[in-house]
Amino acid sequence: MPARRPAGAAQPARDEATRRADQDGTARDQPARDGADRDDAARDRARGCLLGLAIGDAMGAPAENMTAAAIAERWGPVTGFLRDEPAGTDDTEYAAFSALLLIEHGAALTSEQVADAWVRHLAGRSGGFPGAGFSELGTIENLRAGLRPPASGQHLHSWSDGLAMRAAVHGVYAAGDLDLAARLAAVDGAVSHDGEGVYAGQAVAVAVAAALAGARPGEMLAAARARVPADSWTAAALATAATAAGPDALLDALVVRAYPWTDLAPEAVGLAFGAALAADGELRRAVPGAVAMGRDADTTAAIAGALCGAGHGMAGIPAEWVAAIGPVTGRCLGEVVAGLTMRDLADRLVAARPGTRPEARTGR
Amino acid sequence: MNEPTDRTGTDRRRGAVLGLAVGDAAGWPARTHRSRVLPGWTRRLRRELDAFAEVESVTTLPVPFALNQDPAPLRLGPGDDAEWVAWTLAGSAPLPADRAAVHARWAVAVADGAVPVGRIAVAVAVDNLRRGVPPPDSGRRNPHHFDDAAAIRAVAYGVLATSPAHAATLAGWDAEVTHAGDGVTAARAVAAAVATAVSLPATAASRPEPTLLAALEAQLPIDQLAGRTLRRALALVAGAGTPAEAVPLLDELVDRVYSYGCAAAQTVPVAAALTAVALRAGTPTIDAILAAAALPSLADSAPALTGALLGAVRGAAELPPSWADRCRRLAGCCDPTLAGVDLLDIVERTTRGQ
Repeated sequence: MPARRPAGAAQPARDEATRRADQDGTARDQPARDGADRDDAARDRARGCLLGLAIGDAMGAPAENMTAAAIAERWGPVTGFLRDEPAGTDDTEYAAFSALLLIEHGAALTSEQVADAWVRHLAGRSGGFPGAGFSELGTIENLRAGLRPPASGQHLHSWSDGLAMRAAVHGVYAAGDLDLAARLAAVDGAVSHDGEGVYAGQAVAVAVAAALAGARPGEMLAAARARVPADSWTAAALATAATAAGPDALLDALVVRAYPWTDLAPEAVGLAFGAALAADGELRRAVPGAVAMGRDADTTAAIAGALCGAGHGMAGIPAEWVAAIGPVTGRCLGEVVAGLTMRDLADRLVAARPGTRPEARTGR
Repeated sequence: MNEPTDRTGTDRRRGAVLGLAVGDAAGWPARTHRSRVLPGWTRRLRRELDAFAEVESVTTLPVPFALNQDPAPLRLGPGDDAEWVAWTLAGSAPLPADRAAVHARWAVAVADGAVPVGRIAVAVAVDNLRRGVPPPDSGRRNPHHFDDAAAIRAVAYGVLATSPAHAATLAGWDAEVTHAGDGVTAARAVAAAVATAVSLPATAASRPEPTLLAALEAQLPIDQLAGRTLRRALALVAGAGTPAEAVPLLDELVDRVYSYGCAAAQTVPVAAALTAVALRAGTPTIDAILAAAALPSLADSAPALTGALLGAVRGAAELPPSWADRCRRLAGCCDPTLAGVDLLDIVERTTRGQ
């Protein structure tokens, strides 16, 4: 759908944002556009979302598990990639993997199909999964032991940000259909996550779906909050993201001090949404902003990049950042994703949507 | 073997707490916890020795040492879990009347800086409470909401409560301050099981195993990790003749992906399975405890829970005096005010009249 407002326009007050987020698909009020233009615009935003994800992943990777102070000391203010040959990690690869499942099965996707794909393509790999987290290997161990979803997602790390890092693709497929986005993220997530891990993934999927339909940053966040349980930790983290005064306050409110890892789903989505809101949805500021806060920086920046890329499409992404992102390496997941490009996956997700014109399904 | 039928409720309450302390002491982590009463530099040097072993490629693992300090804390004795049960017992007399009273005890302790040192779940919850996040959110907004710290505290409610249902309710109110999900249901299960065991009529004590397992299973739904693992653990040990034989079978359950062995979904099922085998086979409690201690990554609390469950069935008199005499007194490694305190004195004081 076409953008509803120019980039950088003032954000409405929060209650106004909430009200408007409840009006699904305001863009339909605009004069009907030529179908081809509409498909081009849809593809542009889908590409922006997935390239935003890959850019955030690659920009944040060198800063993963570092503190904001250590990042500032080593690199100064973050304004772009931190190394000469940026490369994506597990965030990009798992997002690509989940995208393939949506392209194959569409809205009829089941958790059983997701589990079958994990067993077929991932569980047989030997030598570990470089760059992946606890929740992915916990899931694979469960699947190897014969457990199926949702039991496969019930392990000691079910609240990690591993679904949130890949759930943007569910939002891309669902584009504007927020209930579908939430449902598909839960279908995929039931294989590997439980509780807060699923809620956080749903929050990302819903926000991306809302952004693709023209929601502004505050509206994205309101839509995400409306679709996670009100008493969940994820809902509390999203509320914090909406109100925290700056990165220090955000980190202080969200980081759990007595826990030694950085992969908590509520924390990650709180930081990512906070970075997107602080930049008013501008990717060129939101992604470096997320990276500069450290913690699970590749994942938080990937989510922030997906949210902002979905809102503004390719026009919001510096051309040199786009050029720096090569095909998926497969370093983490191997041949099943090696060689894929986010641009192509975005086009195929758009083409797989129900209602996409036949000529758009084949076009690139 | 039939279980002897001459145990009194009083001896069983003592047995639950003393059995927990013996199990706590039997696991290797107790020595590490107890080293907390030594000066911090001894632990710093141990960390440096760990790095030294890595750099120099030697297999000699550093363990807690006293050097020029009093080595008494490094003797066999209970560590963190016995102190947490003592702290819970002491703070629960008279018995709290409602949920608010249980939560208020935590609020006061946090305000006074008087909460003992504990696992990650406890530290996170205390930080939440300090920042004004009240229960149950203090337990929900908690990455380690699943650990077994509340299940350990629940042993206290098992010996204090007037019925298994009452024990589960009290343990649940206490657990939700620091835990959620399996962390809460496991606490309710342990409290109900201990309360069931200590209140078994003497004539029914000959076959306590089904009653005890039913009390645990009733609290742990099969569609959650702890409940699923409990059923799996019991199935794994179905053919085991002794707790020692069950050890390699239960090793199948141990999570090797994440790095903490105190998850309630693992330690409670392992303790329940070893308890079931010991009751079936008539194995002495101390042998079941030592079997639990042979699962190194679960050795912080699975032996303690095994000792609590079996001690609640068989009473303190069944524990070997060599162990009982050395495991009654607390080191003060988590709560310095408990140093030198006799656990059985606390049990006597808090359960008088039951």
